[in-house]
Amino acid sequence: MISKRLTKSLFSRSNLRAVIAIFVFLVLWEVGSRSKDWFGFPMPWVGHVPPPTAVLVAWYGLLGDPGYWQSWYMSTLRVLAGFLAAMVIGIPLGLFMAVNKTFHGIVFPSFEVLRPIPPLAWVPASIIFWPTQELSIAFVTFLGAFFTIVINVLGGAKSIDPRFFQSAQSMGSSQWDVFRRVVLPATLPSIVVGSAVGMGITWEVVVAAEMISGGGGTTGSGGGLGFFIWNSYVGGSYEQIVVGMISIGIAGFVCSELLRKLGGYLTPWLRKR
Amino acid sequence: MNQNQTADLLKRSMPFQTVPGEMLEAIAKLARYESYARGDVIYHQGDFADDVFIVSSGAVQHTLGIGFQATHPEKIVRSGGVFGWAAVLDNQRTRMAKTVCMERTELIRINGEELINFFKATPETGDIVMSRFATMINKEYTMPEEVAGHVPHFTQVPVTVATGLSLTMFRLSQWLKSPKPYLMMTGFGILLATWYLAVEVWKLPRFADMPGLTTVMKEWFSKDPVYGLSIWTPEYYQHIWVSVRRILIAFFLATVLGVPLGLFLGWSKTFREYVFPVFETLRPIPILAWVPLAIIMFQGSETPVIFLTFLASFYATALNTMLGVETIDESYSRAAACLGASKWQVFREVIVPGAMPFMFTGLQISIGVAWFSLVAGEMVAGEYGLGYVINTSYTMVRYPTIVIGMITLGIVGYVSSALVRMAGDYMMQWRVRELALGGR
Amino acid sequence: MSAVMQDLKVPPQAGKAGGALKGAIRIEDVVKIYDPEGAAVMAVDHCSLDIPAGEICMIVGPSGCGKTTLLNAIAGFHSITSGKIYLDNELLCGPPEKPMAQPGADRIVVFQNGALFPWKSNIDNVAFGPMMQGKLSKKEIYEKARSIMADAGLSGTEHNFPGEVSSGLRRRVEIVRALMNEPKVLLFDEPYRALDSLTKSVMHEALLEIYYKNKVTIFFITHDLEEAIFLGHRLVIMTSRPCKPKKIIDVDIPHPRDYSVLTSTRYRQLMDETVELVHEEAKKAFSAGEKEG
Repeated sequence: MISKRLTKSLFSRSNLRAVIAIFVFLVLWEVGSRSKDWFGFPMPWVGHVPPPTAVLVAWYGLLGDPGYWQSWYMSTLRVLAGFLAAMVIGIPLGLFMAVNKTFHGIVFPSFEVLRPIPPLAWVPASIIFWPTQELSIAFVTFLGAFFTIVINVLGGAKSIDPRFFQSAQSMGSSQWDVFRRVVLPATLPSIVVGSAVGMGITWEVVVAAEMISGGGGTTGSGGGLGFFIWNSYVGGSYEQIVVGMISIGIAGFVCSELLRKLGGYLTPWLRKR
Repeated sequence: MNQNQTADLLKRSMPFQTVPGEMLEAIAKLARYESYARGDVIYHQGDFADDVFIVSSGAVQHTLGIGFQATHPEKIVRSGGVFGWAAVLDNQRTRMAKTVCMERTELIRINGEELINFFKATPETGDIVMSRFATMINKEYTMPEEVAGHVPHFTQVPVTVATGLSLTMFRLSQWLKSPKPYLMMTGFGILLATWYLAVEVWKLPRFADMPGLTTVMKEWFSKDPVYGLSIWTPEYYQHIWVSVRRILIAFFLATVLGVPLGLFLGWSKTFREYVFPVFETLRPIPILAWVPLAIIMFQGSETPVIFLTFLASFYATALNTMLGVETIDESYSRAAACLGASKWQVFREVIVPGAMPFMFTGLQISIGVAWFSLVAGEMVAGEYGLGYVINTSYTMVRYPTIVIGMITLGIVGYVSSALVRMAGDYMMQWRVRELALGGR
Repeated sequence: MSAVMQDLKVPPQAGKAGGALKGAIRIEDVVKIYDPEGAAVMAVDHCSLDIPAGEICMIVGPSGCGKTTLLNAIAGFHSITSGKIYLDNELLCGPPEKPMAQPGADRIVVFQNGALFPWKSNIDNVAFGPMMQGKLSKKEIYEKARSIMADAGLSGTEHNFPGEVSSGLRRRVEIVRALMNEPKVLLFDEPYRALDSLTKSVMHEALLEIYYKNKVTIFFITHDLEEAIFLGHRLVIMTSRPCKPKKIIDVDIPHPRDYSVLTSTRYRQLMDETVELVHEEAKKAFSAGEKEG
């Protein structure tokens, strides 16, 4: 009984500390932001940021605004398009590179040469190349996830214990069986990890791409959360900037968590530990 | 296996690498072919050492006996590998190792006595072969130099173990003999040819608007560039320097703040319970979503860009360092405590070096995301810098300059992460050497 | 059963029989209860044991029976729930005043998977203890380290990193690192578990050689009966979880021993006597483990 209480208090202690920490953070933020009104001088940096209470009020006002939800929808759509394209092209490419040495020798060095170029540096070239703004944003988003997924798949497939192949062959598997029943499942954990990381990058890229292309002055772009933030900045409604940031944070977090859950479901043998 | 194949095999093995062709064929005549089944013992330790063996296919486990002071007595010998070198040592005619075939193995064997007699006729070549034997015994079989020095020498000059340079040259020549460099060139060729043909020759739809390969190269290397930016213009280097300077500041700050934070987060549970939740709450917000807020918080155009770059690096560094501390095996801290280390000494001697591998992984990621955010920051808010070049070149329709900016970014980004990797290897010699042996 | 219980009553020894020898361990009625997620698990159950100074005491029991818990309590890594542990009549731990011993260089652990610091060269590892304690100058420490490594046949590997030498060599460096501190007790936590039997046999002889030179008390945990009989003065066979001594057996094969012992009739007899006891506990542990899993 004593022990039970002890563990309970132990668990709640870490939770309690988390709550305290976040609360202290919010209070400091509030005080810092209102320092100009309360103490007569703005604190450096934080003094220019809208306080959390004002952000909450602004957020509440936006909840009924269809334009705000339209931004969510647009960004999510772009992320999904770019991300799915990266999966569809990246996973087979990574697997094929791992399986075929000649192909690896030809493609991998070129791949490594292109990889250090940050995805956002592709934005202008992408706008020139693709006929619509929508496609160019999707392309840059695709690039963001693509390199990470390929590298993870390749690394995962290359680090498979060769004994797995030997044992599969000794039990009479054909080449195709080995690929389908050994290589694919053994690479699955790396695919999951690569996708989760790739998803994070995708959100990073989509925000920036929307800011650069949509916020750069061209009219008629389809909005999105990045555009929403940039628009709020240009329009001077600073509370909305923070609302936009938090919204993207939530969206990205939810997407990554969903992917992890899906990954956990696909790789049940990793669950117990 | 015919004479030519044997000569080819000899040519691939380290000791006989430099021997001229006709002489290789003469040596090949001394060789006998043999094949073994899995599990066969080729010789035991203490057997009389008659022949030198060269593996053609398969794998042989080579275990040196205790007392020979090999730092790594176990080795797997594969195709092209040479073992049984006790047969050419002048003081040693007994086997020092046990060799077992791990799979079906084909090999050739050459009598040591006959080989030495053969080289007496050509002492210069013989000395080169024997000094390569000595290097192999020392470097690949990790035997002390005294043992390796017992290879015979035929001219008056004593044989010495080869230095690092000749070993590097050997590896380089091995690489050049593998298909890798040629495949790589093919890959680059295809990439560049596609670019050139699609844009400038076939003028495919959509591609026709893009700057072509020759246009970009001409512009990049032109002394009088049409759009004002090439390797001959000082502005080019100015932009590079501005970007590099921002990266340096941000990366430095992120490392100086992120590494200690990560170490403490991993080390102290209480500290982690208070600080980590805030960290985790802020982390899902993409760095680039901070752009407008950064502009508001830090007036001007320089500080916001550096702040964004810093923030991205900081997360990566701190998180990976924390992870590094968490993965340190508890027995290391316990062993240190047993040996009388105080809490602070444990931190300095165990936690810091133990977290080092993950920390440097973090720094690798950190430098990558630093460039990533820098470009975004510069495109939106910067003045000068490579991201700025790319963005303004777009708005001012200087298309070839966009590509110059991209290529330059790729190069500078690659060099910077290579530098971080080199720094890591330099500081973690123990790990480099461990991995080098594990990779064999 | 009663005969077994009889064996447990080891007469309380002063531990100072040899006079010069140090490192007698007395374990008195130690209980350890773990508490993962509120479900109390008893790891050690009223365990009493007397180990005279300079003895090699082999603790034999199935994997996961709680032997390591006992070792951790002596080393000072874990607290105990009740009971007392003494080293040379000095209290190491005994709740409620002192639930946990202070780790110190008089009792050094040689770990299961080895705990040589991979980032330090072999000689830096060996010199680590004295460097931390700061009693000697750096020069003296490294001179001592070099000579003690030479004694153990480790010359030539001083400046290699642990990752560069074979696993057998690594274990030897680790023992030498412990001996550098002139400990009273060496605590071995199944150190040769991962080694193949050939390397193991070499390691056993090397360990005995080191022991004959240094005569420290050795508290050696293992599940390998062959190893236990070959090395030990006494075997303490433990019950499966919760762990306590089931039977204590004197190994009356005279030291110094070498590998010819393995073929002697006395060794066979001891093996026959003990193998049934150990197997019984292993079976219990196995079926208990299946229920848990």
